[in-house]
Amino acid sequence: MLRRLKAHRSVGVATAVVGVLVALVTPTGATAHSGDFAKFNYCPSTNAEVFKCLYSVTSSGEIVLGKKKTPITNAVTLQGGVSKQEGTEAEGFPSRFFGATSGGETLSKAAQTVPGGLLGIVPPEKSPPLVRLLLKYFESGLLEVKATLELAKPASEIKVSEFNLSLEEGVALKLPVKVHLENAFLGSSCYVGSSSSPLVWNLTSGTTSPPKPNEPIKGSGGELNFKDGFEIAEITGNSLVDNVWSAPAAAGCGGILSFLVDPVINSMIGLPATSGNNTAILNNTIDLAQATDVNAH
Amino acid sequence: MKPKSSRLLLASLVVAVALGAVGAGSASASPVWKFNGTELSGKETVVGAATSSKMTLLGITVECQHFLYNAKIFNKSGKGEGEVTELPLYECSSNAASCPLEKEVEAKNLPWPGKLTTIGEKEYLLIGEAKGKEVDVNVTFGGSSCAVAGVHAVKGTVGGVINNSSQTATFDAETIKNTGTGLKVGSSTVEWEGVFTMEAFESHRLSAIEA
Repeated sequence: MLRRLKAHRSVGVATAVVGVLVALVTPTGATAHSGDFAKFNYCPSTNAEVFKCLYSVTSSGEIVLGKKKTPITNAVTLQGGVSKQEGTEAEGFPSRFFGATSGGETLSKAAQTVPGGLLGIVPPEKSPPLVRLLLKYFESGLLEVKATLELAKPASEIKVSEFNLSLEEGVALKLPVKVHLENAFLGSSCYVGSSSSPLVWNLTSGTTSPPKPNEPIKGSGGELNFKDGFEIAEITGNSLVDNVWSAPAAAGCGGILSFLVDPVINSMIGLPATSGNNTAILNNTIDLAQATDVNAH
Repeated sequence: MKPKSSRLLLASLVVAVALGAVGAGSASASPVWKFNGTELSGKETVVGAATSSKMTLLGITVECQHFLYNAKIFNKSGKGEGEVTELPLYECSSNAASCPLEKEVEAKNLPWPGKLTTIGEKEYLLIGEAKGKEVDVNVTFGGSSCAVAGVHAVKGTVGGVINNSSQTATFDAETIKNTGTGLKVGSSTVEWEGVFTMEAFESHRLSAIEA
């Protein structure tokens, strides 16, 4: 009896330890899939409308916003689920997108360093003395400016076309975003783009047709490899590009002084920037797996 | 990521073979279609089928039990030309159990133009031209454990060598390389091989197609 009790205690302790370990290893609320499927932990794979899980890591690339070019040096992750292909071939058989679940980020907020920051801003002659004074005061701080991509619309506004992705024609990924500019001078509410006026990236793995001064640039469908039989498709060397989009003026920069600071920032970056003056290049590794396979692991 | 292309490629190959069988003449700068040694005037309908054919895309090989084609051939300005007008493919299957075909391979945007050309001492049939007139086949994979389930487009051009004695056209990696053609799903190469019979179906029915 005592031996049985001890055994029960041991099992109980072991279970508790395992539970703690699992809790430590698995992000809160996420489903813990195993092996190669662990990257789909935040996929809404139990949603009956989700056909495949998608996990895309942008490890390099660049964003040119008006006169400012920012390289992507910190990986950005886009994750969620996609529906079965819908629509027509002319539309690229697009899939609806479902955002990450269980507390996961659909588009991870990875801050990128803006080279040179905003140093070099020469306030327009007509700038109020207060702005000139602030710029002088924050001159050293302006060296360090971070730009972070954020979704500007609900994840349901994202569109994915696997057909166009592999075909290297048409829009492979439609992504409505905004750019969050941050430092001590700009405050925490300085954005280019908003939910009502997002930067709409119609990213292609093919070739763009931008207006001048931009020139056509070419993406790449990448190379496909399978893992776990045919259960996971990993696309490496994928490059999605768009240099046709336009950008509105920055807003909310400088906190309560934004009405003074916004014009200076816009002048410095060249905002609003019409189509042909902006570029997004995202170099990605993309993993896809059917939701049923994800749930089975 | 582009399974349909395989079937399309196969179809194109068949058509090319058929065209080649119908008309490739002796090696010359501008081969023409001939029947019983006489240069074709006007148009002729050529039909045929693949005696064997398979296409590999995205690492998956697709084979069709019935790979037919229907083509129009003619000579224009001293050159053999033609176009593939129909390419029905039936009972196709994939070699990947987890990625079966969800629907039949489908040839798109027909007709596809074709022309004869001489390379070395052999006559080749080239099918497909620039964008909009290229070989275009949709391959749709299904299955519950297939990460590439969905529609994939195979596009490009394809060249096959004509064998006048057997009245066939053969498409394979070598003929595709020799003709500088190629089928792709995006930038991913699609492999295609097939041997296609060629037979006149209208005024030159039962006539021998000669090189």
